[in-house]
Amino acid sequence: MTFLQPWVLAGLPLVVLPLIIHLINQRRFQTVPWAAMRFLLAARALSRGYSRLRHWLIMALRMLAVAAVILAVGRPLSRGWLALAAGGRPDSAIVILDRSPSMQAVAAAGGASKLDTGRRQLAAALATLRAGRVMLLSDPGRGPEEVAAPDALVELATAGPLAAAADVPALVQSAYEYIREQAAGTTEIWICSDQRANDWQPDDGGWTGIRDALAKVPQQVRVQLLAYPVPAGGNLAIRVTNVRLETLGRDRRLVVSLVVSRQEDGERMTVPVTFETGGIATAVEVEIVGREAVLKSHTIPLERSAETKGFGTVSIPADANPADNRFFFVYDEPPPRRSLVVAEEPASAQVLELAASIAPDRGAARVDVVSRGDLAAAPWETAAAVLWQGPLPEGRDAELVQQFLDRGGQAVFFPSDRGAGGRFAGCSWDDWTEHSRPVVAESWRTDQDLLANTLAGSALPLGDVEVRRSCGLTGDFVPLATLPGGAPLVARSSRDERVTFVATTPTARDSALAAEGIVLYAVVQRAIDRGLVPLATARQVDAGPTAATLAAASGGAWTRLVGDAGSPSTESGLHAGVYASGERLVAVNRPAVEDTSPPVADERIDSLFRGLSFTRITSSAGDTTSLVQEIWRAFLIAMLVALVAEGLLSLPRSAAADRGARLPRRLEAAA
Amino acid sequence: MFNDRQPRSFLDPAVLARLAAVPFVARRPMVGTVSGRHSSPHRGSSVEFAEYRKYVPGDDLRRLDWRAFGRSDRHYVKEYEADTNLRLCLVLDTSGSMAYSSGGISKIDYARRICGALGYLASQQGDAVGITCVADGIVRSLPSRRSPAHLRLVFDVLEEARPAGPTRLPEVLHEIAETARQRAVVAVVSDLFCEPEALATAFSHLKFRRHDVAAFHLLDPQELAFDFQRPTRFLDLEGGGAIFADPLDITDRYHTALGAWLESLRRVVLESAIDYHRIVTDEPSEQVLARFLVGRAAGRSLR
Repeated sequence: MTFLQPWVLAGLPLVVLPLIIHLINQRRFQTVPWAAMRFLLAARALSRGYSRLRHWLIMALRMLAVAAVILAVGRPLSRGWLALAAGGRPDSAIVILDRSPSMQAVAAAGGASKLDTGRRQLAAALATLRAGRVMLLSDPGRGPEEVAAPDALVELATAGPLAAAADVPALVQSAYEYIREQAAGTTEIWICSDQRANDWQPDDGGWTGIRDALAKVPQQVRVQLLAYPVPAGGNLAIRVTNVRLETLGRDRRLVVSLVVSRQEDGERMTVPVTFETGGIATAVEVEIVGREAVLKSHTIPLERSAETKGFGTVSIPADANPADNRFFFVYDEPPPRRSLVVAEEPASAQVLELAASIAPDRGAARVDVVSRGDLAAAPWETAAAVLWQGPLPEGRDAELVQQFLDRGGQAVFFPSDRGAGGRFAGCSWDDWTEHSRPVVAESWRTDQDLLANTLAGSALPLGDVEVRRSCGLTGDFVPLATLPGGAPLVARSSRDERVTFVATTPTARDSALAAEGIVLYAVVQRAIDRGLVPLATARQVDAGPTAATLAAASGGAWTRLVGDAGSPSTESGLHAGVYASGERLVAVNRPAVEDTSPPVADERIDSLFRGLSFTRITSSAGDTTSLVQEIWRAFLIAMLVALVAEGLLSLPRSAAADRGARLPRRLEAAA
Repeated sequence: MFNDRQPRSFLDPAVLARLAAVPFVARRPMVGTVSGRHSSPHRGSSVEFAEYRKYVPGDDLRRLDWRAFGRSDRHYVKEYEADTNLRLCLVLDTSGSMAYSSGGISKIDYARRICGALGYLASQQGDAVGITCVADGIVRSLPSRRSPAHLRLVFDVLEEARPAGPTRLPEVLHEIAETARQRAVVAVVSDLFCEPEALATAFSHLKFRRHDVAAFHLLDPQELAFDFQRPTRFLDLEGGGAIFADPLDITDRYHTALGAWLESLRRVVLESAIDYHRIVTDEPSEQVLARFLVGRAAGRSLR
């Protein structure tokens, strides 16, 4: 229990005042000559059960009344039903808000969302606690910002909802840094969250360090979690998985694929899905069974006069979480598939050119084979990927490649026949190894990156690719495929994820990459696809750091075309919507994991703060009760009840006297 | 020693004058030495016819009923009830507990008033009056005499009685029962702070000796109410130890013990059929005595 006037508690020893008065009263006895001693002796011999109990009850009630008065004057605070943790008025409070889309779930139609409820409850609690300094922490990049008054939390734009997931570990880390550097005295960290796994990342190794660091700071730190873990019931989420513009002669149409999902299995139901683009709305019904309904390649014809570039939204009717009922998309004609081949061996150049020149959608693809000497004149600005076979770039060449990578291009390096030499992206080629007989990849990552399984779920036939000669690779890399003995066959640089190394060449002398061309083709085309993304004038990005970086890279030139109104410009890339940046269109939407991420178990959360002063307060959306409220009235009522009870218990004495006065007449009548 | 003209503190002439209108009678036949107001077990010369008896030689011929002889040709002697005087034996409890007073009159003073008035009334109608002061034993005793001079002695004893020591009333009552040669009215004036069972045997003993027993049970209002407000050290007036008690703690149980004792006493007096009067000392003694005298006058048919 917390008190606003804790110094009053110094008067708690006064609780024993009734006892002292009783003892003094015992000493201030009167002496009376008495005749009827036999009855006094008999009374003392009788059982004292009820009388003794009453005596002590009266004493206890008097002490309780005194204690209640003292506690009431101390202005006690109630911290909710489950959080009667010890604590006092904090010198500073850091509010960590989980502003992710899942926090916009409401308990009832028209009710307050979890985020709004949390902000309101926090504002009321901090106002009651009279925290010395209130800091809001909603973006780890910006650090805590001071809030003028707790009530401002309700209205503050930077405390409003986002389309991006919350990075709770980073936020707590940021809070720790603030405490270490600036906070003095008692600090409370209030975390308002719905405990979603993607926000909390409980398996993140950084939690241990944060916990240990918080435990070691000299200031007293208390962590309070205001949790809203109950998911919104019956909530549906919609997400566009693919949008492409198809042109058939003079006709154009949009081909949209989407997913309607829910977190729990439910009854079969039909969901009306509304498409809106170019001011024209069309609707289609999607039947959902189980957790997911997929609508593939839904076509929306476009007017002939319409521009090739545009945007639209897909939406479903309002439900428990309005944040996942709408999805923005943009479309444009895809950029040309252009790639560069830089190879010292003509055979390799030929194979790589062939692999890059065949577009998967039968569209046009252009490959420029560039010699090392003409690199400066190569069309780097329009290329999506560079396929490099030969010594790693150095000097001016390295600068050109690095600029290309920084713009968003992809690079796939194949080794030079000369072997060791040069260093790029933290890696360098080592010596060649001639295998006595062909070897194949022992294992490779099938879940992501360039060697991932196909959309149909089948693995790439890398096991069929025989390698006769492989070049060693040293440096910081993540192996994507390994040969027997652990040597990497395909690896990605740890320093730059856009750089991939293949430890052999596609020539027949070194490997069967060309003969078993599917793997090489998939690797090359996937790299080109990745490189095309930054080149596209219409781009879908997840709200979060990536989008924020894009917005920052554009120099703050993002103009909102449609989306969340009133979002501050400092949070570009974190709010859903369609933005224009020059000639480019960017659709920002919530990350896919937001739709499916389950809540983290309470015990798991508790374990993250083990060893710290941690309190959980579980609430629900729309809950209007205060987290912290003054309860001195309850103590005054307790005092009154104690006094009334004490009076009632003391009353029988006079009643007994009356009874004694009546005794003679009654007995005389009997005699 | 007091002179004749000195007023007695326990006697109120006005009260005595009013009480004198009601005769003090015994509930049982008394055996007296002279003629008086009380019925006797013997035949005598009063005007109240008792019975006929056959003449036997030696009877006084003046008592022969000639009319009966004329009607039946037999000789009958006409007998009349004898009226006699009584002996009033006042038993005054002078134990320490009788000194208690919660502010009004003390129990010993109240007892003096009862005894003084009864002695005066008895003496006025020619009855013998004696007194026995009781504490740890018989403290002082005067036998019953009829003379006015003896009444003064009785008053002197009352005046000089000082409450002290423990009570051994049952033993003294047994002693009185054994030593009194003739029937008497035994008026016990006490707070009866002793075992009811012991009192029951003492009363039965007196009844067996054909004494007419009257008990005046004196209680102070505070002894019944016990409404002390502060922790109190109670000093035993009969010389026992002291008891420290908090009234808040002990009042209920005191009343429980008192109630049980009064209930036992009630059963004792009912079984003994004595003339029992419980008196709270805030009640005027005149009312108590009037109730006592009227009650006896109404029930004088016993012989």
